[in-house]
Amino acid sequence: MKSISLYEEKGSLLNKLAPESKILYIIIALLLPVIMGSRWVSIGFIAVSFFLLLISKVLRKTVPILSISGFVLLTVVIIQGIFRAGNVTPVFAVGPVSFYKEGLMFAFEIVVNVLNILLSFCVLILTAKPSDIVENFVRKGFSPRFGYVFISVFQIVPQMTETMSTITDAQRSRGMETEGNLLVRIKAFGPLISPVVMSSLINTRERALALEVRGFNARNKKTFLNDEKKCGADKYIQLGMLAMLIAGIVWRVAGWR
Amino acid sequence: MAMSTEHSKIIVENLKYKYLATDFLALDGISFSVEQGEFIGIIGKNESGKSTLCQAIAGLVPNFHKGAYGGRILIDGLEVKNVELSELCKKVGIVFQNPFNQVTGSKLTVYEEIAFGLENTGIEKQEMIRRIDDAMELLDIAKYKDRNPFDLSGGQMQRMAIASIIAMQPEVIVLDEPTSQLDPQGREEVYQAVQKLSKKGITIFMVEHNMEKIASYSDRVLLLDGGRLIDFDTPQRIFSREDLDTYGVEVPAFTRICKELNLKNPGTGCYPVTLEEAYDLLSKEKREM
Repeated sequence: MKSISLYEEKGSLLNKLAPESKILYIIIALLLPVIMGSRWVSIGFIAVSFFLLLISKVLRKTVPILSISGFVLLTVVIIQGIFRAGNVTPVFAVGPVSFYKEGLMFAFEIVVNVLNILLSFCVLILTAKPSDIVENFVRKGFSPRFGYVFISVFQIVPQMTETMSTITDAQRSRGMETEGNLLVRIKAFGPLISPVVMSSLINTRERALALEVRGFNARNKKTFLNDEKKCGADKYIQLGMLAMLIAGIVWRVAGWR
Repeated sequence: MAMSTEHSKIIVENLKYKYLATDFLALDGISFSVEQGEFIGIIGKNESGKSTLCQAIAGLVPNFHKGAYGGRILIDGLEVKNVELSELCKKVGIVFQNPFNQVTGSKLTVYEEIAFGLENTGIEKQEMIRRIDDAMELLDIAKYKDRNPFDLSGGQMQRMAIASIIAMQPEVIVLDEPTSQLDPQGREEVYQAVQKLSKKGITIFMVEHNMEKIASYSDRVLLLDGGRLIDFDTPQRIFSREDLDTYGVEVPAFTRICKELNLKNPGTGCYPVTLEEAYDLLSKEKREM
């Protein structure tokens, strides 16, 4: 079955770490630049994220993510570079259009921030199994019910896609046109989507029964088949990152005087 | 009809139930009792109340489906209506028709899938592993333990669903047409598994449309029609009834043949219901000729 999760087990160092460490990494990668007020910190974190993704052998998987957002970022650079209010210093010109320094600097800051957010999240989602993330949260007191909803999405959605393609084939075999111009596709949408919705509702009811008889709503403390995902280094990594965060805050507060 | 003793495992007393938004009784005054370890077949035409009765035994009626409920079901002296589903599921397990919808969708391997109920009810890890291994052994699915639950065939998936219930070690297992969506091989696999459970002393309720199977596996058969209990007796006596057509029940082929030949088992005074029984009787007849 195809999965919609981007995670892949590569046996790398990051695969072994607890998901919490990676979540903490996202938090400080986003907070520290704000606290310290310097874009160089963001650039530093981008470099670190790149390095982490590289040693986890998942750098290639970031390419589709980066190329989609890269397109958006390119438009930001062009529009800000040409039209930003307060543009006074031309840097270079392409034909009759000239780009200005102020706009480009502003766009550069946006690009840096977006890349920092994207790459630090990539570190988490490309190296941590979704079920491990949720399970570790449930261990820490997160509601198992919400955990279930979150985690079942990864399997139920591909199932619905499969149902959809079965229904498409069935309707097509009855002579319905599902391919062609936009109008044909819009007309086909109703007969295709309504059986999917109906069957999903029925399936959900049946699945609710099946979950219920397997103690889904039990109030006692849950136990876990799998051991908690963590390794010895996690504690030090988390402490180290917290120390960095505190150091950043102290540096900023001291710098104000 | 039913033996009503105080020590019965399951006692159903004048059970009545009406679903919300309907104006007829899905179950209408049903009473019977069942001993520990019995294999009970439930038969009747569509809409006769078979599934509702199954869900009532498992407590889903009235604790999941709301509606008007009367009478009571006692399991080991516990009144089903008053027990929470998350508690009752440790005593009574239920397997549904569609194996696909019983997969939780939150687990990535068959092994973890079977663990789902055990994790919820707070079983210790060592015990959990022991139970899962036992259940997989019993249902012969150990070889699929690392597969994704959704990648199994129908029969394998249904056996996984049964294993998930077995692992919770209930004393009663209700199977609501567990083989109706399976191919003949998958059906046979499930039957073999259920028979093993029955031999282990677990009380089994099974809804099934295949009368040959019901006849050969059941200790007693419950015949329902329009929500009422028509008869509760051995398969031989049930299938020897003359009025089965009115209840939409098709008699096993062996019984039909012997009815035509007017061959009754002298021991019970009933027509034979299984191949073996019919064969014995016919070969005896032949020898006498």
